[in-house]
Amino acid sequence: MKASTERTPIESVEALEAAIARVRKAQEIFATYTQEQVDKIFLAAATAANQARLPLAKMAVEETGMGVVEDKVIKNNYAAEHIYNAYKNTKTCGVIEEDKAYGTKKIAEPIGVVAAVIPTTNPTSTAIFKCLISLKTRNAIIISPHPRAKKCTAEAARIVLEAAVKAGAPEGIIEWIDTPTLDMTTLLMKEADIILATGGPGMVKSAYSSGKPALGVGAGNTPAIIDSTADIKLAVSSVIHSKTFDNGMICASEQSVIVLNDIYDEVKKEFAYRGCYFLNDEEKDKVRSTIIINGSVNAKIVGQPAPKIAEICGITVPEGTKILIGEVESVDISEEFAHEKLSPVLAMYHAESFDDAIGKAEHLIADGGFGHTSSVYLDAVTEREKIDRFASKMKTCRILVNTPASHGGIGDLYNFKLSPSLTLGCGSWGGNSVSENVGVKHLINIKTVAERRENMLWFRAPEKVYTKKGCLPVALDELKYVMQKKRCFIVTDSFLYHSGVTKSITDKLDELGIAHTTFFDVEPDPTLASAKAGAAAMTSFQPDCIIAIGGGSAMDAGKIMWVLYEHPDADFMDMAMRFIDIRKRVYTFPKMGEKAYFIAVPTSAGTGSEVTPFAVITDETTGIKYPLADYQLMPNMAIVDIDFHMTAPKGLTAASGIDAVTHALEAYASVMATDYTDSLAIGALKTIFEYLPRAYDNGLTDEEAREKMANAATMAGMAFANAFLGISHSLAHKLGAYHHIAHGVANALVIEDVMRYNASEAPQKMGTFSQYDHPNALHRYAEIADALNLGGNSDQEKLENLISAVHELKHRVGIKDTIAEYGVDEKKFLETLDEMTECAFDDQCTGANPRYPLISELKQIYLDAYYGGTFTEKAMPTCECTGK
Amino acid sequence: MNLDNVVSVRKTKTIYRDGDRCIKMFEPGYSKADILNEALNQARVEETGFDIPAIIEVTTHDGQWAIVSEFIEGETLQDLMDAHPEKMDEYLELFVDLQIKMHSLKSPSLNKLKDKMNRKMGEANIDATTRYELRMRLASMPNHDKLCHGDFRPSNIIIDKEGVPHVIDWSHATQGNASADVARTYLLFCLKGNMPLAKKYLNMFCKKSNTARQYVEKWMPIVAASQSVKGNEAEREFLLSWVNVVEYE
Repeated sequence: MKASTERTPIESVEALEAAIARVRKAQEIFATYTQEQVDKIFLAAATAANQARLPLAKMAVEETGMGVVEDKVIKNNYAAEHIYNAYKNTKTCGVIEEDKAYGTKKIAEPIGVVAAVIPTTNPTSTAIFKCLISLKTRNAIIISPHPRAKKCTAEAARIVLEAAVKAGAPEGIIEWIDTPTLDMTTLLMKEADIILATGGPGMVKSAYSSGKPALGVGAGNTPAIIDSTADIKLAVSSVIHSKTFDNGMICASEQSVIVLNDIYDEVKKEFAYRGCYFLNDEEKDKVRSTIIINGSVNAKIVGQPAPKIAEICGITVPEGTKILIGEVESVDISEEFAHEKLSPVLAMYHAESFDDAIGKAEHLIADGGFGHTSSVYLDAVTEREKIDRFASKMKTCRILVNTPASHGGIGDLYNFKLSPSLTLGCGSWGGNSVSENVGVKHLINIKTVAERRENMLWFRAPEKVYTKKGCLPVALDELKYVMQKKRCFIVTDSFLYHSGVTKSITDKLDELGIAHTTFFDVEPDPTLASAKAGAAAMTSFQPDCIIAIGGGSAMDAGKIMWVLYEHPDADFMDMAMRFIDIRKRVYTFPKMGEKAYFIAVPTSAGTGSEVTPFAVITDETTGIKYPLADYQLMPNMAIVDIDFHMTAPKGLTAASGIDAVTHALEAYASVMATDYTDSLAIGALKTIFEYLPRAYDNGLTDEEAREKMANAATMAGMAFANAFLGISHSLAHKLGAYHHIAHGVANALVIEDVMRYNASEAPQKMGTFSQYDHPNALHRYAEIADALNLGGNSDQEKLENLISAVHELKHRVGIKDTIAEYGVDEKKFLETLDEMTECAFDDQCTGANPRYPLISELKQIYLDAYYGGTFTEKAMPTCECTGK
Repeated sequence: MNLDNVVSVRKTKTIYRDGDRCIKMFEPGYSKADILNEALNQARVEETGFDIPAIIEVTTHDGQWAIVSEFIEGETLQDLMDAHPEKMDEYLELFVDLQIKMHSLKSPSLNKLKDKMNRKMGEANIDATTRYELRMRLASMPNHDKLCHGDFRPSNIIIDKEGVPHVIDWSHATQGNASADVARTYLLFCLKGNMPLAKKYLNMFCKKSNTARQYVEKWMPIVAASQSVKGNEAEREFLLSWVNVVEYE
């Protein structure tokens, strides 16, 4: 009794200001409570409210002169029991969710002080509801009752407060205005942290314009369609049950029934049989002019029983009449029966068809019930399509099927998944911020603690990689004996075709009885036109297997033909879409391999295309290059057989070998490098540094060097197929495109400067990737230098030694130092420089680089590569502690 | 000041014609502030360029305050309506067009309509609950700034010899929501007992100004309550029936 006896009544703005300050203090204490403490208080409060269900109901009816005691008992009981039951096990304090694997934790915090506006229609039950959900969420609540119901609302709040304090809640955690005025209500809404405004449009609008977050709800104008397939007894009794509940004051209550013509008479008979009174034309007019005045409901009829309303209208109906029904035609706002009536007065409409009924319901909702509730009665087993049609047309947040709307809308009575609530959100249609039934989740702030986690990476490679000299015929045996392939399409370039390199393959296929054809028109930068020609040939040949044999161009062309053959409508613009994370890209690459199995056979050691998911194609009409990247482009099988490598000329051997070096260097320094790709990259580099000079010098005879180089190139390919590359390749791609420098050479021209650039310990911007925790390219290069036994005492020395070693290797195999030396005209180079730089920046390879480049920096690297210079950083602040 | 020619006599004031001047003489004891306010309103509206009689002076005569303005030679629209009921539609159209034209004007220094209504709510003899409802309703109304007359009725419009209408009596002028001004005019028609004309007026206004009727109707309990402050007992019951309504609660 302590709480109530010591309480100072709030009857002025000043008293309210003081109360808000007190309540804030109480809430600060409440915010420290544990879930156990809160649940104990929640239980005690719900119990007390439950026990007071009858006295509170009597008080409410007595004070407001509206509604039905017996129904208000149900509402009070519901507000206590169903709310308690729904949320008794809900976590609302502290950590409510944790995912250790993902490193996330959700923490519930109270919002603070809740301003609760309580309507006259449900003055005690809504107060109980709002107090309980506030207590459950460790919020304080200050209630602004309606002046017409201030005593019973205050009493409900007092009962809940007393029980809560007895169970340990801070004193004064629930407060209420004793003599409400607009000034006080407005002040409360401005000072609170959140507003739970249940009330008319004016109240809801005030709440939303207070500048505080508001959960407001508004008017309903619920239509109920009774379809030809409805169970008429159930439908009519449901509507009567709902419409008479608390004399029709629940905002979800039916305001109109729309009945299909073929059952209209039967429905009417049933309504009459169950105690409803049908008004004649003269009586209808009397009711019209009484219940609605200038578009608003006459206060005298709200929540009154039907006979009383009839009496006010000047008509006589039997004493036991449940509902006054006006059969009307217009659904327009000018028809008084079409309004929300807050009383047991119901409009009844004819409908010619279900669609006509939907049209009428839509209109009625637009008249004054946007966002609230609509209802339909039909055979829910056979008429699923009608339910869907009805649901798609209704702009209401609750769409009830075969359910009394008053009881149905508040949830948990006729459907047990619709949250119980006495505050029903009406969504943006009703000008609300919520569209569902308001509950505890709307009264907590959820903090998400997100710990840094490493991004998932995978390692992918063709399902089979055949190696060792002479493995090709063995691999091809598999085509027939394991895979039962029947038609094989070979893609190659004209040199390999005419020099008879592909003959060993076709001979073997003939021996196996596999039909084949060869497309040998692949050019050095393969074009879309030639890929389309190849794909057309494929379409007519209908292969179940494709063998692409040659350098990067033939294998890339083969991949593109494969795409066009399997997916003729594929759009290269989409497929070339840049991505940050290949697993999250916007475009989903079409599934490959439905028609043909893809085999790649390299004839030089370098490109790695036989094991990569990449391909580059040029649209010869626009000059645009489409670099495609997707694991769908991964060959199914790679055959690394040096019988095809021996005759590769010196220049090709050198350029491809250096290309493989840059693949390994970039994959190792990539932000996406893993232990798997590191080992492959290091292994490849060790081999190449040892065997490239031999393969270059004695390519025709040194089988060991050729085999080592072939495997190293494929290993480097696997490394960058998974770790991706960096800006050396971004720059080389565009240098090749603009100035026709062979790909391997282009990489060789920029790689030294790129390494020095990447190695900065204080780059302007570092690469973005969860695992990449600080700029560490310098150390990574030093690790490579160590693996190659290059010596050096510091990472910086090791880097310089590595750059020197790369430089020497390039010289050893005849690669020149600058772009100028490759005959690119200075004027032309400078003219294209800005455009080329921007394109290089936009290259897909840029994303994995350890240093995120600025366009101006890339330009500098290009200039260095042209004239022969080394990258110089901008002046940086010096750090005394390291002496750097 | 020649006070021989009496044009009309009302409870608290007498209107005289003195050549081309119109003298509105107030009874002794009439609020000086109200008189000055009326003159100020009129001067402000004059600045909008709307066709109204120009203020010439505010003066006293034998201790009585008077507002002197231009005299408009002509007949009131009410007189015309009474004399030519067959032309009612034409007159009503003129009336509505004139009101819409007025609403298109702005007079930023005028009192705010909502402030005035809020004050009237306080003066009205209604119970606390109803007042709470009305104030809540009023608070939710939009804050417009259109020129509103506050007593726009056919008897306050004089049609001169050239047929040009002039609006007089600006004592209730405010700036605010046009629908409130219209609700008030509608109420005035209703109080005169001419419901069909009232309805016709409202429909015509809503159609011409593309205003939803509910929007005007929302103001009706408010204008009825403000009217009840000065209304006589006979009107009071009618006005309260308009006031005693609820939105969804």
